[in-house]
Amino acid sequence: MTETLLEIRGLTVEFDVPAGRLPAVAGVDLSLRRGEILALVGESGSGKSALSMSLVGLNRGPHAHIGGEVLFGGHDLVAAGEKELRSVRGKDIAVVFQDALAALNPTQRVGDQVAEMIRTHRKIPKKQARERAAGLLGEVGIGNPAQAARAYPHQLSGGMRQRVMIAIGLANDPAVLIADEPTTALDVTIQSQVLRLLKRLQADHGTAIVLITHDLGVVAEVADRVAVMYAGRIVESGTRDEVLFHPQHPYTMGLLNSVPRVDGPAVARLPAIAGSPLTGVARPPGCAFAPRCAFAHAACGDAIPPLMQRYGGSAHLDRCVLDRSRDALEVTA
Amino acid sequence: MRLVLKRLAAVPVVLLVLSTMVFAAIRLLPGSPATGLAAGGASGQATAADITADTEKINAALGLDKSLLSQYGSFLNDIVHLDLGSSFYGGNDITGLLGDTLPATIELTVAAMLIAVLIGMFTGVLAALRRGTWIDTATRTIGTVSFSLPWFALGVLGIVVFGVWLRWLPVIGRLPNALDYHPLTNFVLLDAILQDRPELIWPWLEHLILPATTLALSMAGFITRIVRASVLEVLGDDFVRTARMKGLSPSAILRRHVLRNSSLPIVTVLGLQFGSLLGGSVITETVFSYPGVGNLLVNGILQRDYPIVQGAALAIALLFTLVNVFVDLLYLALDPRLRKA
Repeated sequence: MTETLLEIRGLTVEFDVPAGRLPAVAGVDLSLRRGEILALVGESGSGKSALSMSLVGLNRGPHAHIGGEVLFGGHDLVAAGEKELRSVRGKDIAVVFQDALAALNPTQRVGDQVAEMIRTHRKIPKKQARERAAGLLGEVGIGNPAQAARAYPHQLSGGMRQRVMIAIGLANDPAVLIADEPTTALDVTIQSQVLRLLKRLQADHGTAIVLITHDLGVVAEVADRVAVMYAGRIVESGTRDEVLFHPQHPYTMGLLNSVPRVDGPAVARLPAIAGSPLTGVARPPGCAFAPRCAFAHAACGDAIPPLMQRYGGSAHLDRCVLDRSRDALEVTA
Repeated sequence: MRLVLKRLAAVPVVLLVLSTMVFAAIRLLPGSPATGLAAGGASGQATAADITADTEKINAALGLDKSLLSQYGSFLNDIVHLDLGSSFYGGNDITGLLGDTLPATIELTVAAMLIAVLIGMFTGVLAALRRGTWIDTATRTIGTVSFSLPWFALGVLGIVVFGVWLRWLPVIGRLPNALDYHPLTNFVLLDAILQDRPELIWPWLEHLILPATTLALSMAGFITRIVRASVLEVLGDDFVRTARMKGLSPSAILRRHVLRNSSLPIVTVLGLQFGSLLGGSVITETVFSYPGVGNLLVNGILQRDYPIVQGAALAIALLFTLVNVFVDLLYLALDPRLRKA
């Protein structure tokens, strides 16, 4: 459980936009261990998708600037050429995208789409790949997989399509599976089925999963570790219990406070974090969350606080400079 | 399937409306076949009175002295019995004339379509993949220019350059007159196979290439633009990102995922453009003295040969309609989402 599989060092992702360069990821250090589920949490625009796509260079392009290092199996995937990356994509690191209807080719049978993933990396006969594809569809919980394999994406339900997407992701038994909001497009009962499926597959295959989500309920259900992102940086990271039960950064607290709880007091309106996330090109010199933070004081605007251990366990890191002895920081809800 | 049956059911209606319009339009033109025939047949000393007398005789012989309504009635009656009548000049059977000319026009338009699709797909995909570079700009500029060039100008230019200056290609007709050709189906390629005469193919291609390219170029320019836009749109689709995630090479992504999905708007355009291609074939066939339906139609109009005009227009309309039914079928083959269980 402790072997580091993927090491991200000083990762930056910037996009050319009309107003200048948008810093989507502004320096992230993060490691992924073999077989764990790491949840990457944050609002839309926090950089979690940009971060995960740049792991396999899927957001490379003339308008993207990716810096830093992503070390995987002794190679730096940021510096790697397209050809080298192609041998990693789909084989060692695969992605499950969120909107499966859009992410699947509408004119190809789903079985063939799974088989294509297999045959891209293993030279086996088409027939054999098809059989293996049907087997995978069965493994992700699709009843009558042989029949489903012959269906086109539009003929399947949303939950089934997401299972197909997961089957594609798992086709080559990758070491890392990036699941980009895999349950967002699904209704609640299907969501939890898909999550349990991911959890089971992670246990069966020892696949490490980077689970991108904005849903803390999802985090509580399946994650081993959590990294909270805000404005392109990780503001807090630790084990699931540390982050969910002892949040240190006011942004994490804000996220937790805005989740309705069955055991919490009945409120007319859930508390929301005031203001809106930073999405523009310009960034303040200090803590990016300070303008929205209820606890902010003058020092917060001076410099970006480093991500370090400030409270609790040695692996529980955060970027908040506030004094932890004060009760004011305890979660109120 | 229902969609196709629906389209097929509409074919007779389309043909009825069209034949009625052609029937009326040709009779609205100034001049009549009888005056033409009478004047043409008269000797130098004929007086105006002689011509008038002849005209009446000819009108009576051709049935043109009857009321328009009764002419229309017998015209429709003949069509229903698959009798398209015979030419006022020489009395040739129209069905036979169409049997000779329609295959020539089908060869010309299909060849033009193939050339246009080949050029248009290649340049369109190239422009999309090299978006924003000089290749993109050049391709689009050439496409727009060729799209704007009129057929007759292109045809004459082709004749002058390849026929007169370079002497590479013949510029008139469909096959050399000296060639010993006994048509079976009137499709030269098919006959060459059926009659085991491969030596027919080269002269045929030689005659076909210039008019077909003339006809194809403007359509190719149009297809380039559609293909470019369509490919760019599909390249931005999520499933292309999925294909990249799988580790597929760019060429595999293009072949297996992009082309098929971007072909739908292209196929639509092809069906519609086939209409203008048929229109263009009328001009092109005239320029190249190519013995197709277009040529037949133009001569028919010039001579006020009503049955020929009606027959040729019907044949062209039928061809257009059938091509579009075929396009609908192609649609179903390409996009499984359109197939309703």
